[in-house]
Amino acid sequence: MTLNIRIIAPDRTVWDAEAQEIILPSSTGQLGILTGHAPLLTALDIGVMRVRVDKEWMPIVLLGGFAEIENNQLTILVNGAEEASQIDLSEAEKNLDTATQLLSDASSNKEKIEATQKIRKARARVQAATAATS
Amino acid sequence: MDSRPAFVGASTGAFVAATSSKSAVCVRFNGLRRDAVLPAGQAAASGAASVTMGGNIREMRERISTVKNTEKITEAMRLVSAAKVRRAQDAVLKTRPFSETLQKVLGGLIKRLKADAVELPLLAERTVNKVVLVVISGDRGLCGSYNNYIIKKTEARIKELKAEGLEVELVCVGTKANTYFRRRETPIRQFFNCPQAPSAENASSITDELLAEYLSGEVDRIELLYTRFVSLISCEASIRTLLPLSPSGLETEGDEIFQLTSVGGQFVVKSETVPVAEAEDFPSDMIFEQEPLQILNAILPLYLNGQLLRTLQESVASELASRMSAMSSASDNAKDLGKSLSKEMNRARQAAITQDLMEIIAGSSA
Repeated sequence: MTLNIRIIAPDRTVWDAEAQEIILPSSTGQLGILTGHAPLLTALDIGVMRVRVDKEWMPIVLLGGFAEIENNQLTILVNGAEEASQIDLSEAEKNLDTATQLLSDASSNKEKIEATQKIRKARARVQAATAATS
Repeated sequence: MDSRPAFVGASTGAFVAATSSKSAVCVRFNGLRRDAVLPAGQAAASGAASVTMGGNIREMRERISTVKNTEKITEAMRLVSAAKVRRAQDAVLKTRPFSETLQKVLGGLIKRLKADAVELPLLAERTVNKVVLVVISGDRGLCGSYNNYIIKKTEARIKELKAEGLEVELVCVGTKANTYFRRRETPIRQFFNCPQAPSAENASSITDELLAEYLSGEVDRIELLYTRFVSLISCEASIRTLLPLSPSGLETEGDEIFQLTSVGGQFVVKSETVPVAEAEDFPSDMIFEQEPLQILNAILPLYLNGQLLRTLQESVASELASRMSAMSSASDNAKDLGKSLSKEMNRARQAAITQDLMEIIAGSSA
């Protein structure tokens, strides 16, 4: 038995394939899903999702959204998704630095919200890229 | 296609050679187009006798060729826009799986939460002091009154809101709105380029900005001004409130899908209304990893993102459709102009020939 996974971004279906196991970045912590899971609905944070196809783990960056599991069918709706292989690690690290700088410089409430958002995205990218290269 | 302009060039060249060899003949230009006056013609103009017709004909021939070139350009632009409209539609169709699933889950959650949902920050109505208008215009011109309409609509809305004593600021998408409002009193918070093919990244960079503004309390209401795509020949500048979201609006809105087809060689738009996806009934043993309210809170930005992407796509489709009709009427005009010009030119040419003949006959009889 396998899990059928669909990752859908607003403008396209990013991923539609089968996998044995996945770990989701839910907003209350990492959440592992195996086949035969009970129906579940969870909000997703900006973070890295890991998918196991056979013995290989694949990291995918998710930019916030939610996931629904029912009958081994996992539907993930996200603002955006990026495969780790497409991320340049050094650039991601640089972006994380600038975002951190932005937060420490932020004075208004709005700037803080924006900077935090940027940091979370950058951190997820760095994580995924590191996981993919190691 | 290529042989045509070459032919025109060759014939005018021959004409120039003919006039300049007869240096006694004076060619007078009637000033249809000053820049079309050639040095060879000027050199010839120092002669004694005067023939008005010759120069006129050459000038007209040049005008005809420029009109024809313009027609080719506008026709090409029309075809390019038609192809792009089709691509824009495919993009709309690709958003279907997302919006359908979203609507299902959203509907299910709202059904489950009922009135509790009103407490969410994105749904709560608060006293409005400052309104942000998001204006979606194009980056380019040559598309009829598309940009003009949306700017007029925005001006009207700003006036309305100001009359209510509210503060208004703008977020401009597309350079056309930006260049217009930059020099006017309403402040612009942010400017984005209008993408030719809007992607989720474009939409989410805008929604991130808007959400940050709204959640930080700097702005109390966000309205969206965009162009609704009605058909290829009719678009409508419209307003909708983006934030706060109304819980009832989330459930009831249907979707319209446009499909460009060709009937008898003409482009035709078919529109069909897609009913709202049914709210999902969650199984009774459904695990909610977080409180349903929290999940709803995480889903709403997605919904916003989808909505904004949709309006961007619709505006871009409208822009392309406006450009298509503007360019097709421009080509029609060019065709008419070319026709009347060549008629005029032929008349002048015939008059010149008749005159020449008369002179020859008069000469031989004398």
